[in-house]
Amino acid sequence: MKDLEAGSADTSTRSLTGKRVLHALAAASLLGVAGCAGTAPSPGSEPAGEAASSAPAEAPASSAAPEASAGAEPTEAAPADQTYEDGEFTQVGSYVSPGGTEEIGVSLTLEKDVVTAVTTEPMPSNPTAKLYQERFSGGIQEEIVGKKLDELKVDKVAGSSLTSGGFAEATDLIKSEAKL
Amino acid sequence: MAVGGSFVFEAIGTRWQIDTAAPLEPEVRAAIAGLIENYDALYSRFRPDSAVAALTAGGGRLELPAHGAALGRLYRRLYRLTDGSMSPLVGSVLEHSGYDAHYSFTPKGPPAPARAWDATLDWEGSVVTAAGPVTLDVGAAGKGQLVDLVGGLLTGAGHTEFLVDASGDMLHSGTTALTVGLEHPYDPTRAIGTVQLHGRALCASASNRRSWGDGLHHVVDARTGTSVSTVVATWVLAADTMTADALATALFLAEPDVLAGEFTFDFVQVFSDGHARFSPTLNGALFTP
Repeated sequence: MKDLEAGSADTSTRSLTGKRVLHALAAASLLGVAGCAGTAPSPGSEPAGEAASSAPAEAPASSAAPEASAGAEPTEAAPADQTYEDGEFTQVGSYVSPGGTEEIGVSLTLEKDVVTAVTTEPMPSNPTAKLYQERFSGGIQEEIVGKKLDELKVDKVAGSSLTSGGFAEATDLIKSEAKL
Repeated sequence: MAVGGSFVFEAIGTRWQIDTAAPLEPEVRAAIAGLIENYDALYSRFRPDSAVAALTAGGGRLELPAHGAALGRLYRRLYRLTDGSMSPLVGSVLEHSGYDAHYSFTPKGPPAPARAWDATLDWEGSVVTAAGPVTLDVGAAGKGQLVDLVGGLLTGAGHTEFLVDASGDMLHSGTTALTVGLEHPYDPTRAIGTVQLHGRALCASASNRRSWGDGLHHVVDARTGTSVSTVVATWVLAADTMTADALATALFLAEPDVLAGEFTFDFVQVFSDGHARFSPTLNGALFTP
């Protein structure tokens, strides 16, 4: 019953507010995966870089560091202040690409309100989308990787106005599904 | 360029930032706002009072400003080079998919192809004629052309050093090159590479279609054994923003060498399996593991 209520409430009020919360979750998840993999923060051993800026005893109230407040002690049941169920959740979002409407599957693994893994799945739905093969005379890079923008010296960033629309929609659905 | 002034505003659903060496005069700012408003009033599919809304309602004859001729020519060339995949008649397909003036996001049925250009629309010079209702959509090149028009206004007002940035569609003028990060298709906090932008335009397009880089989602062509994947993001550098904007979309629909036969440009394409290809003359770098 609780789940149904949470789900229907979220669906009926999927408004600007919902989207904003969702973007915050998406941003936190990407940062969480990129920045926290393999680290186990404990109250007594802070990274040296953060020691100057925060007192170890204080739990930050902002969502910018969810791992610091959620990762203190492992417990069996979800603590009262945990917002989302632990586990892996999968949803499909859609968006409009230059080639038409497309879908994207998003799986999030949640652990104590922290996203520990993100995967996206191909959902080729557009019959006009072209498949490309390797037959071009220009340069080819077999594998490219992202570098953190704040570690780069750039004057500007060029991305897409469509960025993450489908990802955001799927994350929104997961949020309502996983809500405790 | 030492930035002397930044003019930041929202228009046509996008954040604009115009950096200039000398601060923009109030009358130039007003002229820019007026220019954008007029362009929007002409082409917006989302305004019931726009000129193209009249075509949608019942067809007819629409006389565009002089810049409409260049837009029509560009669309016609790309319509031919993409075998009809890129078309100003894509509007009916988008609306069919729920991307309509009411943002219903409710598909009206299975995907339907756009109507053939010649049977529907005559775009001769700056005059558009349609015998019946037609949804004209210039979204793949219109924003770029608007950036060019704003750049022309700046030049006309005596500004020689500027960057017009309409959320990723940008036009640069001046003596100092800019380093521009290429935003990671799935992570706005990261860049996959950088390019040098100097005295020309840079536009980006992305579909965020699917995961890449994890090596698990390769599709292999059974006949050739080679990896097959789809384009998820493109960047194009060209002399003008309208062309760069249109080619960034066209690179989802046509091979680069087909387009290179008729246009001069540099490009980066990123594919769903995490590999990239780029023009041999690209002045930039993509990051490798």
